[in-house]
Amino acid sequence: MNDGDLQSLYSDMLLLRRFDELCLRLKMKDLIYSGYHPYEGQEAVAVGFCGLLGKEDILLSTHRPHGHAVAKGVPAESVLTEMMGRRTGCSGGLGGGMQYIDAAHNFFCGSIVGSNMPIATGFGLAIKQKKLGRVCVCLFGDGASNTGAFHEALNLAAIWKLPVLFVCENNQYAEAMPAKEFVACERISRRARGYGLDEITVDGNDVEATRRVAADLVARIRKGEGPFLAEALTYRLRGHYVGDPEATYRTTEEVNAWREKEPLKLAREKLLLSGVSAWALDAADQAVKDKLETLQEWAVRQEFPTLEQSVDHVYMPLPQGGLVCR
Amino acid sequence: MPVITFGEAIRQAYREEMLRDRNVFLMGEDVGRWGSLYRSSKGLLEEFGPDQVKDTPISEAAIAGCAVGSAAMGMRPIAEIMYIDFITIAMDVMVNHAAKWHQLSNGKVKLPIVFKTQGGAGRRNSSQHSQSLENWFVNIPGLIVVMPSTPYDVKGLLKSAVRNDNPVVFIEHKALYFEKGEVSETEYLVPLGVADVKRAGTDVTIIATSWMVLFALKAAERLHETGLSCEVIDPRTLWPLDKETIVRSVDKTGRCLVVTEAPAEGGWSGEASSVVHEHCFGRLKKPVKRLCALRTGIPYGPVLERQIIPNEDSIVQAVRKLME
Repeated sequence: MNDGDLQSLYSDMLLLRRFDELCLRLKMKDLIYSGYHPYEGQEAVAVGFCGLLGKEDILLSTHRPHGHAVAKGVPAESVLTEMMGRRTGCSGGLGGGMQYIDAAHNFFCGSIVGSNMPIATGFGLAIKQKKLGRVCVCLFGDGASNTGAFHEALNLAAIWKLPVLFVCENNQYAEAMPAKEFVACERISRRARGYGLDEITVDGNDVEATRRVAADLVARIRKGEGPFLAEALTYRLRGHYVGDPEATYRTTEEVNAWREKEPLKLAREKLLLSGVSAWALDAADQAVKDKLETLQEWAVRQEFPTLEQSVDHVYMPLPQGGLVCR
Repeated sequence: MPVITFGEAIRQAYREEMLRDRNVFLMGEDVGRWGSLYRSSKGLLEEFGPDQVKDTPISEAAIAGCAVGSAAMGMRPIAEIMYIDFITIAMDVMVNHAAKWHQLSNGKVKLPIVFKTQGGAGRRNSSQHSQSLENWFVNIPGLIVVMPSTPYDVKGLLKSAVRNDNPVVFIEHKALYFEKGEVSETEYLVPLGVADVKRAGTDVTIIATSWMVLFALKAAERLHETGLSCEVIDPRTLWPLDKETIVRSVDKTGRCLVVTEAPAEGGWSGEASSVVHEHCFGRLKKPVKRLCALRTGIPYGPVLERQIIPNEDSIVQAVRKLME
């Protein structure tokens, strides 16, 4: 992979970082209503895996979805305004920051840990049976690997040889519970062996590595070699939600140590070493910030959904009518 | 019209829908090799192959999840949960995803899924294989709940459920699979959300669901011999509920008994009773009476499990009380 590639991966990560920071500010102003799950520090996973996918590929995300969504190509406008509960959001402002769907971009997320994994098998089944050549990527965290849904999904995907890439975004903490204490094995990727799958682990802070692994596995899945489970080791630099009592479960020293190896810092250092000028990187950063500032100004002007719209799409109409929810 | 069993009517519905639309497929525990627990999919694996008839592992969450994902991609899954008691494992996907995705996608994603299961007592299976859990689903916006009682209805309703674009919880009763009834040879559908008057009458309206419809009809026959005329209504779909048929009947009779196999507390029987009170209050001669299972786990064995749920005798007694 040449520096040009790293530069584009870096700018993709930069967009996610600045987007996350914008969300944080909006949360502080109470313009994002639900608990906000910051993404800072995990950008190399989203860019490496989600950024590789085409519009037709399926992405199933988690309760910390905005980085995945933007990296997949869901317009930032519809992600941001969904988080702000506005009508222009991809779920019409009815889903909020943890559960929304952009059908046109084949993006789905939800706030029940682990429950997207069984659903991924269904997308995989349809892709395989209809010979669509697409891939379904299902992201989940270290916490989800402790659910029953994880096991049921991986077993079914493996026995039916489904075109699904399960990506464990191990950010070391399930809410306040450290993976090293609450996951019974050292590597979640080792659990893949229980389903007859290879054990694949990648440095989730190295965007070139995540992209390389993603590209390899996605290509193999398109050739019919799926499913795969890959574990990307990363770190959640902020709390589970904004304002969580972080001191109850980790030290500032630990967080600071991980800040030294966070993905944007690593990529930037590598780019500088390769001769890219700091000025160019800073100019690109400013351009992203300007773009997001404009986005925010637009977003706060958007309308909220009405009471009528909140019951609009509960059901598809029956042929004889009779499904009124008002 | 030919007389066939409830189980055979289901099999015919599967066949017709799978032939009509290759996107329709059946999956679940032992739906293929065994042809389902009560043989309602017997021979279909041989006829349609594994693309349309899929045996799955004992993984109810995966079955339900696979249904949601494949339906979002345009397939039309019939996802069988062998006993409704096992549906607890699938609840997350059904309630948090299947029921929500149409709305969360702004109306773009449709999920034409039939979650097909069977419940109820009557086969001596005790408290983890005999429950009536339909009430949970009635209370979830986004789901349709169907409970057929006759071979004719199960076939027509199942075909309608497969063709509709909403997730449906389709609950059969394990005591009904070998019940026989007339089923038309020419194709027909029974619409979702339309009740059926199983017996016309003038003195009392009995609203009964699933297996209870059969007991209600027997009770009505006995009461008829003593000069009492009962109208028996089978809602067939618990939600959407055909209120018009119920209200029309109670407006006429002025008395109403609701019979369900599920316990009364917090249940659909209360919903049906409220509909009657809200719409027919001025015409009621007595408050609506509910006759439901005792609030207990279904006891083991052939005797007690019949005693804790309504039956012909208890329905007769309840109707007589309403007439006092």
